[in-house]
Amino acid sequence: MRFRAKIVDLACLNHFSRIINTIARLAKTCILRLTVCKLYFILSDKAANGGASMWCELSQGNFFDEFQMEGVAAEHNEIYLELVPENLSRALKTAQSAKAVKIKLTNKHCPCLRVAVELPSLSSSSRIVTHDIPVGVIPRRMWNDFREPSVPDFDVSIYLPVLKTMKSVVERMKNLSNFIVIEANLSGEMNLKIETDLVSVTTHFKDLGNPPWASEDGCQSSPQGRDLESMAEACIDIKKLQQLLAGQQVNPTKALCNIVHKRIVHFILLHEEVSLQYFIPAIA
Amino acid sequence: AAMKCVLGGAQLRVFGRAIHAIARISDEFWFDPVEKGLALRSVNSSRSAYACVFFSSMFFQHYCWTAVSQPCQEEKQLSLPCKLIIKSVLPVFRCVNVLERNVEKCSISTNPNDHHITFQLLCRHGVVKTYNLTFQECDPLQAIFAKHMCPNILKVHSRLLADVMIHFPTSQEEITLSVTPMKVCFKSYTEEDTDFSRTMLTEIQLSPEEFDYFQVGVDSEVTFCLKELRGLLAFSEATSVPVSIHFDRCGKPIAFSIEDLLLEASFILATLCEAEKEAASPEPACCPQPWDSKADTAASKKSQQKENTPRRDSAKTPSALAKQEVKSIPRGTERDVPGRAGAATAEAAGGKATETPYEKNSYLYKYCIFQFHSLFFGAVSDKEEAIGDTFQSLVTASDTEEDFGALQSSQV
Repeated sequence: MRFRAKIVDLACLNHFSRIINTIARLAKTCILRLTVCKLYFILSDKAANGGASMWCELSQGNFFDEFQMEGVAAEHNEIYLELVPENLSRALKTAQSAKAVKIKLTNKHCPCLRVAVELPSLSSSSRIVTHDIPVGVIPRRMWNDFREPSVPDFDVSIYLPVLKTMKSVVERMKNLSNFIVIEANLSGEMNLKIETDLVSVTTHFKDLGNPPWASEDGCQSSPQGRDLESMAEACIDIKKLQQLLAGQQVNPTKALCNIVHKRIVHFILLHEEVSLQYFIPAIA
Repeated sequence: AAMKCVLGGAQLRVFGRAIHAIARISDEFWFDPVEKGLALRSVNSSRSAYACVFFSSMFFQHYCWTAVSQPCQEEKQLSLPCKLIIKSVLPVFRCVNVLERNVEKCSISTNPNDHHITFQLLCRHGVVKTYNLTFQECDPLQAIFAKHMCPNILKVHSRLLADVMIHFPTSQEEITLSVTPMKVCFKSYTEEDTDFSRTMLTEIQLSPEEFDYFQVGVDSEVTFCLKELRGLLAFSEATSVPVSIHFDRCGKPIAFSIEDLLLEASFILATLCEAEKEAASPEPACCPQPWDSKADTAASKKSQQKENTPRRDSAKTPSALAKQEVKSIPRGTERDVPGRAGAATAEAAGGKATETPYEKNSYLYKYCIFQFHSLFFGAVSDKEEAIGDTFQSLVTASDTEEDFGALQSSQV
């Protein structure tokens, strides 16, 4: 099993760092899956995460100047590693002005991702900062636990409001309640609601638009038969929503959510080079 | 002695940073005005870190010091330092950057008769803030460290050190500095029982060319407490004076100091002493001897960092610090009496490897302390003098006048 990669371009490095920062906010520990073409950050919906799960996918070619990997076996040319994304975030944090960043899988005392940052210095030789991030190697028999989640059979799919606005609304609501209700309909309307003994607050968004989803057989999927005004709702942990929104440092190209009434909310955030899906289950 | 001095806005920033830096060492500090200037000193409870910042009288806009003779004193004594609780002083210098803008002048005056020090800030818009703080009289505190005897000396701008330390997490307690004539490396400290599968390790390699002055007489790897050092780094950035690092092999203290015409600061930190290396070293004397109570203080630094350490009443242990014969003394007498460095009590705790302090087990003494010299002034101090029957002199460098000069060059 081998992995070695290098980033030389500062813009790519900053973009990659931003993605890692977002992941670090969503998950304390997650799986990094490496294939020849892509990197995936995966959080599976175990109880420890409060049932939330995440799937983030990026094409390595958009970030790395060099990328070589050799999986566990020829017919399973992939590597699954468990790591703490905060460590990776920290390692990259001070690499803002780096000449190059190399990442390598090593096994000195234990399996590690070695991040070597080459920094400019006043002398002729560069400064090298090395961070050894411990990782856990996931054996192949457990890979099935980390498959891409399928899009749920949702009741309503709607584009999200401007994330900055949504974030400030949610942040203020977080001070008042631990849970938030997201409800939306197929007429482009979304409400964010909190309700406590003392106060209830609702923020209304209009004209958001509903993304068209085509099902496999080419027909419009079932929501077509649905009453356009009828709201699908889910009550979710407000902190999880806040973490998702706070982690977005750049506006995505597309941001939408799929609501399964009283079951789960599926957020999809698409940027040019990276896609992020985040599932927050509804509180019973 | 009575002292009054005045600081302007810009000087306040530096002074405030010095207080903050010293606050990282301990909760209390020595406030010691002398004729030539004002010294602030601090030592941590396990005696493994010592800080001294000396502001020469020229640093201040105005500095006035008068000796006050105390009839009860046997010897003619020039001044008596006093001890302040840092927490009381920190609010005075709370937002150092803001201070500079809002405060026009700060005056500090001591009144030995009623045991008060007054800090008065003259702020904008006619606002005057006055802080009256009580001090405790105490034994003077001074560390002796022969910088000129160190084989390894590095001198570098504080910016570089800050750039290096930024790569370590703020929670990082100890780091290891490893030098050879070819390279310098700062890395996270690890020991045999470090859980590598859970710990992220960071290492920074620098070339000797990055240093303003680079002298490596002996390859060495020293481990010291980063937390205590961060204060000095912030302070030196305020002064933009380069930082000198003096050190030796592991086990011997490491000194970070800055010096210019107006002020001198030294932070002296104990370094980890590994038992194997200690056995091999021809001079084992920096590490405390097995039976000594100093073992407690040495061990206590390590154990302070661990939870559930049993606390032992420090009164049971003899004086933690050895006396050293001194040729010249800035004040007081040359008395052959074992001293104690002020009232900061060393908390003797169990430590990692042992239960009793008197086991002859050198593995216990992971940390080596450097020597303190304390001058004893008869009936002045009201602290309990727990003087042991025997004491051990820590062999350090020579006891020439230069030892004092290493730190307190402007002291009489």
